[in-house]
Amino acid sequence: MIAAALSTVTLAVLLVGLGLALVQARRWRAGRAAAVDLWAGLAALPGRYLVDVHAVVGRKPFNARFHALSAGGFLAALALLVLLALPPLRHPILWGLLAVALATMLAGGLMVGYRRRVLRPPELSGGRFSRLPLALTGFAAAFLLVAADQSAGGVLPVPVGLALVALGGWGLAELVFGVWKGPLKHAVHGALHLVAHPRPARFHDGAGRDSGLRPLELAAGDADSAPLGAGRVLDFAWNRLLGFDACVQCGRCESACPAFAAGLPLNPKALIQDLVASLDEGDDGRAYAGHRHPGHPAGAGASGPSLPLVGPRAAIHPDTLWSCTTCRACVQECPMMIEHVDAVIDLRRYQTLELGATPVKAAAVLEELRATDNPGGRDLARRLDWAVDLRLPVLADGGACDVLLWLGDGAYDLRNQRSLRALVLLLRRAGVDFAVLGADELDCGDVARRLGDEATFQDLARRNVALLNGRTFQRIVTADPHAFHCLRNEYPAFGGRWTVLHHTALLLELVRSGALPVTAPLARAVAYHDPCYLGRYNGETEAPRALLDAIGAERREMARSGLRSRCCGGGGGAPLTDVVGERRIPDQRMDDARASGAPTLAVACPTCTLMLEGVVEPRPAVAEIAELVLAATEPTP
Amino acid sequence: MPSPAETLLKPLTIKHLTLRNRVMSTSHAPGYGSDGKPKERYQLYHEEKAKGGIALTMFGGSSSVAVDSPAAPWNQISVADDSVIPFFREFSDRVHRHGAALMIQLTHMGRRTRWDTENWLPTVSASARREPAHRNTPKEMEDWDFKRIVAGFAAAARRCKEGGLDGFELSAAHGHLIDQFWSPSVNRRTDKYGGSLENRMRFGIEVFEAIRAEVGDDYIVGMRMSGDELIDDGLTNEDCVAIARSYAERGLIDFVNVLGGQARDHMAHAVSLPNMSFPVAPFLHLPSSIKREVGIPVFHAQRVTDLATAARAVEEGHVDMVAMTRAHIADPHLVRKLAEGRLDDVRQCVGAGYCIDRIYVGGDALCIQNAATGREATMPHVIAKAAARRRVLVVGAGPAGLEAARVCAERGHSVLLLERAAAAGGQIAVAAKATWREALTGIPRWLTQQALKLGVEIRYGVEATAALVEAENPDLVILATGGRPDRGDFPGSDLAVSAWDVLTGAVEPAGSVLLYDGTGQHHGASCAEFMATRGALVEIATPDRMVAEEVGTTNQPIHLRELYRLGVMMTTNHTLVEIYPEGNRRVAVLRNDYTHEEEERLVDQIVVELGTLPNDGLYFDLKELAANRGEIDLDRLLAGRPQPVPDRGFALYRIGDAVAGRNIHAAIYDAARLCKDL
Repeated sequence: MIAAALSTVTLAVLLVGLGLALVQARRWRAGRAAAVDLWAGLAALPGRYLVDVHAVVGRKPFNARFHALSAGGFLAALALLVLLALPPLRHPILWGLLAVALATMLAGGLMVGYRRRVLRPPELSGGRFSRLPLALTGFAAAFLLVAADQSAGGVLPVPVGLALVALGGWGLAELVFGVWKGPLKHAVHGALHLVAHPRPARFHDGAGRDSGLRPLELAAGDADSAPLGAGRVLDFAWNRLLGFDACVQCGRCESACPAFAAGLPLNPKALIQDLVASLDEGDDGRAYAGHRHPGHPAGAGASGPSLPLVGPRAAIHPDTLWSCTTCRACVQECPMMIEHVDAVIDLRRYQTLELGATPVKAAAVLEELRATDNPGGRDLARRLDWAVDLRLPVLADGGACDVLLWLGDGAYDLRNQRSLRALVLLLRRAGVDFAVLGADELDCGDVARRLGDEATFQDLARRNVALLNGRTFQRIVTADPHAFHCLRNEYPAFGGRWTVLHHTALLLELVRSGALPVTAPLARAVAYHDPCYLGRYNGETEAPRALLDAIGAERREMARSGLRSRCCGGGGGAPLTDVVGERRIPDQRMDDARASGAPTLAVACPTCTLMLEGVVEPRPAVAEIAELVLAATEPTP
Repeated sequence: MPSPAETLLKPLTIKHLTLRNRVMSTSHAPGYGSDGKPKERYQLYHEEKAKGGIALTMFGGSSSVAVDSPAAPWNQISVADDSVIPFFREFSDRVHRHGAALMIQLTHMGRRTRWDTENWLPTVSASARREPAHRNTPKEMEDWDFKRIVAGFAAAARRCKEGGLDGFELSAAHGHLIDQFWSPSVNRRTDKYGGSLENRMRFGIEVFEAIRAEVGDDYIVGMRMSGDELIDDGLTNEDCVAIARSYAERGLIDFVNVLGGQARDHMAHAVSLPNMSFPVAPFLHLPSSIKREVGIPVFHAQRVTDLATAARAVEEGHVDMVAMTRAHIADPHLVRKLAEGRLDDVRQCVGAGYCIDRIYVGGDALCIQNAATGREATMPHVIAKAAARRRVLVVGAGPAGLEAARVCAERGHSVLLLERAAAAGGQIAVAAKATWREALTGIPRWLTQQALKLGVEIRYGVEATAALVEAENPDLVILATGGRPDRGDFPGSDLAVSAWDVLTGAVEPAGSVLLYDGTGQHHGASCAEFMATRGALVEIATPDRMVAEEVGTTNQPIHLRELYRLGVMMTTNHTLVEIYPEGNRRVAVLRNDYTHEEEERLVDQIVVELGTLPNDGLYFDLKELAANRGEIDLDRLLAGRPQPVPDRGFALYRIGDAVAGRNIHAAIYDAARLCKDL
């Protein structure tokens, strides 16, 4: 009788759960169509889970362990419970296996409890999540006793047995009904998200990294159909919505987000939850029990599938949207493989292209960009003003050279002209056959694209691709990781396919080949700051380090470095949208540098250079890597 | 308005030549020439500016094209024969290596020179009108002079081109031969070269036409001219605009380099080379008036000492190239510092005129505050780090002590600077109290800022003693304790006060004052001016033949102008031999140095200026404690080698007026020369 009760409760709960999941699925299935290869996704699911997801989860080994125990135990227990619903199978051995599975889960549940009650990481959400340890342990413990009793032949008094079934049933219901809006939602949606992920190439079975934004279809005369970007939540593709729904509110993105840390009104976790809440009519987001966007209280805006997502009184405040530096720290940390930056860009595209609601300074820059092909509104013919005395060879249409040096917008900036000068002197010193595009080079369009101005980006991309394809060269080298990313990852969609190198990679090659002999090793401590668009966007964290090692720097790692580097605050047009926080992001990054004790902070990006050198002294000196290499390879007389 | 960097770091293209920015240095005559050639010293001086980022450096002010316009006697450059070409080649390679352009100025001085030098040829001019500054009456040019001089210009132009120079300008300013023809104050001819402006312009046009025929239209040829001679019978601004237009429209010149005034007498000379008593860029309106009328680039120099003013001149469209000639003497790296965002590190010209005043008395141009300028072969503009870090104690925050602290800190040493007073500056702080001499404070201000930036610890209000010095356990002790006024040793000298007492405010000038000036430097004249502006009835007496006799030609006229304006009585050729009291008043006995007749002055106050005596008490207290007993190895000092390092204890060095009273440059050179190798 106890076994029957157990089976009934279990099956009933699971059936209700399935129903809830199906209803839940209707919400995200209402999103825009997306081309997804479901079969391939299904086939790839175990690998994606065990390799890619585990790689992220495993960055916190304790979490990986409790997750393996509780989720593994739970899934095994559910399978066994379903089997045990068939009376012929109710064999003591099966009961014993169930007991083992539940004991495993109980151990995991206790660890979850320890984490939530004792460790209490601040990034975790409360609300229904705070009942999770109780549900896990309640279900596991109660059913464990029942299973143990059953395997021993059933010696418990019936009322006690039924009470245990009821308690375990509650725990199970708490867990399974969580597919609706509770903790367990992530299990179902996470699995489905892995199957139908919008960037399948990011997994180990693909390219392993996929960070370029997808071109937006800008077909004319399409005003009645889909809007450009996402204005309402249902403007997102269904598998994007599925991804948002997979969020388990673990808060890893929140801990990594430089804007959140600086007190800017952006918390990526809350942003995803804002989007999730918008899927339901009348969900004011108050059920969300995690940190809000700093300075912005919950429930300030109205949300719903048919309402605008972004606005001072909408689900997402414009300041939240424009605080993002597109640094991808959230994406890097997310165990559910959510693509936060894609979401931000979709939202920005709608704001910029459909509403013209780009914040003031950013709008002015876009205006300049459209009129002059560079964000500063400078005359393109002045791009080489700083280099008159260097007499750079200019590659004309039809010309050829080995290395095409893409100067980027840093060529207009006094500080970055010094970095570029160092790079040019190094190329000369090493005898590299290089040339520049001179007045023909247009802005790469990075800022436009990150600010949602896809039209301007595409225009620039097409024209840049055309002028590059009219010239012959072996590879493109640039000191600007943003241009590097655009040219390498985003221009292929417009017909531009070249070998693109960041200058640190080329310099490393030159130092290693002996073309740049190290004559004056640096012999001092240097901390290296990874640019987001070089590290996380392109996976290049080794060349700059190897280069620093090669020139004799005593390299120090900052608190956050490599793929988990903290943004300088300069990406995604954030310096233009200029949303006010409690601190400045670069100040925080400089704290990391100070803590390293190194007197020099090496940078490898014009934006990082400006942001970090803008931090008030006392602070480590900021040096572009090329400047350090130049000093270390000074020819001996 | 855009930032100075935005405005100034914008290239300018003149024909085939693209200048990398808008900052240049005009041709001047630093007296570094040797045998009429620009040799190593001259070249290194300009190379330093090229390294420092300048776009165009022009050298060879008044370089001669003919034998009756001598150059060598003033260590200037002669382009009158082909032997200069190899030096031009070496020079232009040296400057081009750093991305700068190099040009020269060619001229025939006409009557503005001397006849009693190398060739003993009479001077020539448009008319036989006497030149006040050089006190000579020229020969009026005749037909074969025209032919000879025009051919000389053309040949010199060819030498510039063959020497790889990027171009040159002709000087038609400061009263040289071409503008002697232009100016009605000189040209009284009645032939086709005199009378109407068209006729007066003819000689210059013939010169340029001959040059163009020689070097072609591709070569860059410019002209330096006044925008207004600022004298009654000279060229007006309208005349100058007309001349510039005429030459430009004929395609004779590719740029015009405009200045204000002329230089035919002492005052005009001082005005045309404005010192610190002038506002910055006082004649900017003159190039501006010409720029409006001509289609060629306009250059201008005249007391543009800071980059903000330079940027304004360009941004507002007054000029295309702004010349910061003296500014580069003070800091040849100022453009680099601008480009590196280190505007604060620019050592700004204070307008002391020390550089130019030296050359008019036959010396070489040296900067009052930068000891490396003109000494590039031995003195670095950028101080290298020392191999070992040492503890340096400097006493005295005057120019010598500040420079010593700065240079030692640049060397990487740990530096402590003790100063008795509440502020830095030493004697400069006293000198700067005298009316227009205020800008001198820029010297210690920059040094102090640099020292602090480099981590020097400065303790004010601390009187250094031997015990205090030993307690700091230094490796090196540099005493720059300066001097105190020498009050003289004539009978009754105790009845006088010093110029310091007056300038520091310790003694209020009152009633009738006799200032006796034994040095002929700025101190006496500026103190007299200071007292007169406060209502005292001042007489300045000196054994010299003129008041402020030791002050150079761009500064002395300003002193004299002010003293005359204030009604200061100037008594020259008299020595103060005695003072005695009469009631509350004083009687000064002045003796005529030539007749030995004595005369007396009954005055309320007597101020004496006799220079300084060293403050050397601490030095002699420390001397026996020091490992080197205070000795500076002069052979090593002059050879640029480090002083011997003692095995234990500290080495002691005494520099500046603490050794013997001299001047600011001497103090700074003492410090820099010693410390760069410590």
